[in-house]
Order: sequence, then structure tokens, then C-alpha cells
Amino acid sequence: MTCEDAQSLLLDAQRGRLAVEARARLDAHVRTCARCTHEVAAEQLLSEALEARLPQHAAPVALKRRLAAAWPDPAAPARPSIRGRRWFVPALAVAAMLLLALPLYYPRASDRSTVMVAEAVNDHLRVLTSQHPLDIESGGMHQVKPWFEGRLDFAPVVRFLGDQDYPLQGGAIGYYLDRKAAVFVFHRRLHVISLLVFPAEGLPWPRGDLRRLGRADAYVSASRGFNLVLWREGELGYALVSDVEAPELIGLAAKLAPAS
Amino acid sequence: MAEAPPDATRIAADARDRVRFEEEALALSDQVYRVARHLAGSREEAEDLVQETYARALSAAHQFTPGTNLKAWLFRILRNTFVSQYRHERHNPTRGGLDTVDPNAQGAAPEQWLRGDLELDRLRKVVGEEIERALTSLSEEARTVILLDLEGLTEVEVAQVVGCAVGTVKSRLARARAALREQLRDYQR
Repeated sequence: MTCEDAQSLLLDAQRGRLAVEARARLDAHVRTCARCTHEVAAEQLLSEALEARLPQHAAPVALKRRLAAAWPDPAAPARPSIRGRRWFVPALAVAAMLLLALPLYYPRASDRSTVMVAEAVNDHLRVLTSQHPLDIESGGMHQVKPWFEGRLDFAPVVRFLGDQDYPLQGGAIGYYLDRKAAVFVFHRRLHVISLLVFPAEGLPWPRGDLRRLGRADAYVSASRGFNLVLWREGELGYALVSDVEAPELIGLAAKLAPAS
Repeated sequence: MAEAPPDATRIAADARDRVRFEEEALALSDQVYRVARHLAGSREEAEDLVQETYARALSAAHQFTPGTNLKAWLFRILRNTFVSQYRHERHNPTRGGLDTVDPNAQGAAPEQWLRGDLELDRLRKVVGEEIERALTSLSEEARTVILLDLEGLTEVEVAQVVGCAVGTVKSRLARARAALREQLRDYQR
């Protein structure tokens, strides 16, 4: 198999569309070819970037209302199905109601929560691996929060200022999927805890397995050895990630979430 | 209970098809808008494009066969609407058709993959705004195949949307992704 042959099969392999024999031949070639090994990694990363980070523009609600209101078009010519017109008005009403009840975001194929969990863990890993994870070292929350002014198009609301158990280390500007995020870094003994604050609108928020956290409904999960708590409050979303034990992380989340 | 006359049964079946068509078409408006936004570039143009698409879809509703792929059908109308109404009105940075690109240009050249770690590192760190900007810089053909692939359409469905052979879709998609990677590489220089 040549490199050209292999590269023509990479996308099919990535999508699981290759027959077993063809996949085996491709894998055998890739194992011995640095160029194709690079191509496999680059194509995989490109797919991940497109699926997780390309901005997902949801149709504005006003547009949806206009679409629902415009059907049927009164100027449209009569069609054979016009016989069903007496069914048409209630049908349109049902369609419009369903439309307005639909979520603003439709993930492609993956589970709704997977994208948000994976991105939060990736952001936490960036904090852990970065040589300079903090743009502003902490002199306390009253010093860190004002630093974000003018650097974000929203004001991050953080209720907990840090204490001896969970000292605040500082903050930084980060990205969460397609939008900017405020990153706050807390410590718990020797563990690092990242808190991401970002605009909540248009994200594929988990709908099930929620637990009450003050006045917020929180989604608690674990991925790649990290524990994670996701919740939203008004227009802002929060993701808390760390390798500390889940009860300790939930304890910090309870301090950050709105009190009941 | 008395059995419904055949005509009433047919009318009821038509009505059910019609309800399903409308529900499903409206439920797809986020996906249609998402592709429209990346094709048209601005919110205003995307909204106009989606409205025109749905108006055309309604006019052609009797041509849609229940049980076939409604999403691909709507995307075909969207793409045709965009090409016929918007392409000529906008400055479009099309840089030649993808089907005329040198096939050997696919993938990284030997001297490029030696710098591969840089590209992989760049792809790991690229943010949404940069991907969107790189995508916008591609030709309409390239953007279309990337976006339809991203929406989960198969190569056969993409071929139906853009009106070409399945083999052409495969090569267009590979070249479009290579062009996108090239754009993203540019940002690190």
C-alpha cells in the first residue's frame, strides 16, 4: 500500500467504514510510515476541532417563529395535498408548538453531555500542562475578578472567594468550546481545581441525571480520571474539574452555586 | 365502529404525512441554519437564506417522498438557493474548483510532515474563532462538503445534495480538509 492509497482511506477508517481486511492493511502501513502516522493524527485532531470547537450557531428563536408562521405560504399554488387542508391548521399548530419546545442545539451524534464534559477536562489539562497557567496571580478574589473587566464580553459571577481549604490561586482567560471563558484556579491540598465560567446559551447541557446543588441543577460526572461538576445559573455556565475526590469537588461546587 | 371510506383513509394518510413533514422540517431548522450561517457568513444573510429555503421547501413539499431523507432534501434546497441567489452577490474567496486541484497535493508533502509536531500541536490548541475564520476562507464547494460531512451526511447523501458522483465527493472532502489544515497551519507562522 502506498501513502496515497493509505491517505485516501483515512477518513473511511476514522468513520468506521472500512472492511476488516482493508483496515488491517491500512494499519500495517501506518505502523511503518511516519508520514501516514502524522496524517492519521492530524485528521483525527481536525475532526475533533470541527466537531467540538467550530461555533454552533443555533437558529434564532425569532427566525423559528417566522418559519412556523410562514407555513403554509398563502401565496403557494394549490397542490394535490390541499385535500388535507382541514387537517392542516391543527397540524401546523402542533408543529409550531413542537418547534418552540425544541432545544436550541442539536448535537451531531454524540451524547449531549459528552462534548461539554470532554471540553471541560481538556481545559483543565491545559491548566495543568501550561507553564504559565495564570494570567493573574491571586491576591484574593477581589483582585482577580476585576482583572477580567474588558477582557471578556460577560462578567463572571463567582460567589466563593476562596478559603483555607480551597485557596484561590488566580485566574486566566480561556476558551470553552466556541466561546471565551473565565478560568479560576483553586487548590485543595496539592490538587489543582479549575473553575470555568462561560456564557451558557446554545450549549448541549445535560438533561438527565441532575442533582440539586443549592438552587442549581448540577450534572456530576467523571472522565479520564477527573471528576467534574457542571451547572448553569442564569446566563452563565460553570464547569468545575479536578482529580480531587468527588465529594470534595461537590463540596466546593456547593460553595460556588447559588444558595437555596 | 363503521369502517372509514377509502377516500377518508387516504385523506387521513396524506394529513399524517403532511404533519410529519412539517414537524421534521421545522425541527431541522437549527441544522439548516447552522450550515447556512457558515455558507452565508453573517446572521442576517443566513436568516434570509433559511427563510428562502423553507419557502422553496414548502412550495416543493409535494415532490418530497415520505420516508426518504428530509435533511438531505432540505440541504439540497439550501445549497441550490445559496448558489443561485447569494453566490453572485457576495465577494467569495473561491480559489478554483476543488475538482481541478492536483491530486498529488492531497496530504502533507514530505518536508511538511517533518514539521508535523507543530501542526498537531496547533490543531490541539486551535480555538473556535480560528476554525471558523479558516473555514470561511475556503471555497463554497469546500465549505459545503465539510459542513455536510459534519452534519453527519453520508458520501452518497452529500453527492445527492451537491449533484455529483460519490467518488467526487470523496476527493472533494479530502482536498477540502487538506485546504482547511493548510489555512490553520498558516495561523501558526
